[in-house]
Amino acid sequence: MQWMALFRKEITEYWRNKKWIWVPLVFILLAIIDPVSNYYLPQILESVGGLPDGTVIELPDFAPAEVVMMSLGQLSSLGVLVITLMSMATIAGERRSGVSELILVKPVAYRNYITAKWAALLALVWASLLIGMLASWYYINILYGELSLHSILLVIIFYGFWLTLVVSVSIFYNTLFKTPGIVAFLTIATIILMSIVTQIFSHVLVWSPNNLTMYLMEMVQTGSISSDLVWTAIVTIIISIGLLIAAIIALKKKELAN
Amino acid sequence: MQEIIETINWAIVTPILIIQAILIIVALIDLTKAESTNGPKWMWFFIILLVNTIGPIIYFIFGRSRD
Repeated sequence: MQWMALFRKEITEYWRNKKWIWVPLVFILLAIIDPVSNYYLPQILESVGGLPDGTVIELPDFAPAEVVMMSLGQLSSLGVLVITLMSMATIAGERRSGVSELILVKPVAYRNYITAKWAALLALVWASLLIGMLASWYYINILYGELSLHSILLVIIFYGFWLTLVVSVSIFYNTLFKTPGIVAFLTIATIILMSIVTQIFSHVLVWSPNNLTMYLMEMVQTGSISSDLVWTAIVTIIISIGLLIAAIIALKKKELAN
Repeated sequence: MQEIIETINWAIVTPILIIQAILIIVALIDLTKAESTNGPKWMWFFIILLVNTIGPIIYFIFGRSRD
């Protein structure tokens, strides 16, 4: 099947440029850096010194749910940056160097070309998220207290939808522009803009994808999945699919115009 | 200082060090095998080795020339 061939080509390419190694490792580092550094904060402060004798610093004891949010916070900032930077050239770069013309000159359907790239990226991102958050879960259980595997898996699944949206935004801009730098910039700008708009119209945009982490925190604390969380996830998926369809149409128009 | 080194729980810190080591080693192997990079190779060699943690990542994102 054509789609499988394209998908397999992407996956082997990720092996060749070592993405299968470094992206999961970076996600692990991002997910565990806050749990570990917060745990050692008292020692770090002590060793840095400079505090007068008898200073007592009361550091809050973090609940496991709060620590999960710290890990997600790192993934939301630096993790999203990594996803954006590693995906900025996936189509744009090929269009620039002419590889995509070589591929698309054959009877390859545009939708196969784009969805295969999208699926391959998602496989990489979801695998990295899974490994990273499981590492974080391991540390939380050692350092902060018990958190059930069930709830961390739910966190991974719901948060994965948010990263799916990030990948979809990147794929969409990949089809519009040939310069990877512009793709990365616009992807980041779009995500920042979305969060600003969500904050301004917070009373209307209750199910904005940017609220996903907020509802996730609720879920970890209360242990029950709210309907807001489910609807936000559904909205996120719909927007992702919409972007994917827009990307297919955009690439078709662009390539036919050439 | 000695005290602090003793109080560190190595079961917690070792995995982080291992991950950093793997990143550096994989980046260096990739660098030696690469035919060309964006910018001089010796520059990337030092970035990977000396810039803590993000050096290898910067190399993977920006250093590899795509073709």
